[in-house]
Amino acid sequence: MKFSEKLFRTGLLLVIFIISGCSSPAPSFHIRQDIDFSFIKKVAVLPLDNLTADRSADEAVRQVVIHELLVSGLVDVVVPGDVMSAINKSGIRAVTSLNAEQIKTIGKALNVQAVIFGSVERFEVVRTGNVSAPEVTITLMMADTDSGSIIWSVTKTAVGDSFMSRHFGARSDTMSETMLKVVRECVRTLTEY
Amino acid sequence: MALSTFSLLLVFTYGCGGNSLEYYVRPEVDVAGIKRVAVFPFESLTNDVNAGEKVRRMVITELLSRGIDVIEPGEVTSHLKDMKIKNLGSISSRDIKNIGKTLGVDTVMTGSVEAYNISRGVSVSYPEVSINLMLLDTSNGEIIWSVWNTSGGADFWTRHFGTEGISLSEAARKVVRKSIDTLFSGPSPVTAARRQYRDK
Repeated sequence: MKFSEKLFRTGLLLVIFIISGCSSPAPSFHIRQDIDFSFIKKVAVLPLDNLTADRSADEAVRQVVIHELLVSGLVDVVVPGDVMSAINKSGIRAVTSLNAEQIKTIGKALNVQAVIFGSVERFEVVRTGNVSAPEVTITLMMADTDSGSIIWSVTKTAVGDSFMSRHFGARSDTMSETMLKVVRECVRTLTEY
Repeated sequence: MALSTFSLLLVFTYGCGGNSLEYYVRPEVDVAGIKRVAVFPFESLTNDVNAGEKVRRMVITELLSRGIDVIEPGEVTSHLKDMKIKNLGSISSRDIKNIGKTLGVDTVMTGSVEAYNISRGVSVSYPEVSINLMLLDTSNGEIIWSVWNTSGGADFWTRHFGTEGISLSEAARKVVRKSIDTLFSGPSPVTAARRQYRDK
């Protein structure tokens, strides 16, 4: 085998390794096609449902969602304290199971066009064989406060390790980085719409 | 051969690349022109109940070192107690306006600490610090600046050669410093680009 051919094969292998290691499955999402998202100027991010053993996972993810929405430049976000105040005033006990009427009430109280809610399903370090890696799964939904119906929904899982980190000791993501990655990819489905 | 080795080294060094620091600055707000700020106690979303207070002190030091006047933290805390605010996450924009008037500040900083611990990787331990900071305008209670930053994992030399990494406090100081740097970096290029794309 010629040297140049060897070089080409090595290069090709490297590219395959890198691609397989870095790529993550695209989030599964749904966007209502009949809705004009440009009318949404301000949103409220409600407390998320925590379905994990980590007692702070919901609030940690919520902070990142607020930040990423602001950074996206798509919408303005209501101060988190105002959201809690509106929920308390409305007498809503379970934020995680809102009906259309309650969504409309919160929308009016906060003067927002949409509310975002959802859940954190996984927020833990998962052990596979000899390797441990952080894994975060979230679901986010956006409801229009005029009708109370869901106009955007996304579910995504991100893991902190990759092919390269598992087999060759390359850098793997921390729990915080994994959380940022999963939220960023979810929010990106809105920006790319 | 040399090329292959070099490529491998690059991959080991950078892995899949870290997440870049992205921040938000409200358009047409001169965040860098802020002269006086009240830093609220930070929420600890970690097992270390004092993490919020530790990071708060670092943030105050960073702000003072850049010439920003910071209200004495004890005064802010006692004022929040007077207002009977127990949960930091429930501070409303009305409270922020009241505090602004009473303490004579244009802005207040709120924040939370999402990670402040030593994490275990595949073969090494490393400090992990993640913080979220927000600056709120006391005239209208709106968010005018937001940053979320994390220290990331162990570096190349610690992972592969066992060299001594930085301590938890050093990692926290670095994260705080980088975050506060963005206050003086002007409008976020990422947000501006995305806003332009949206307005097309």
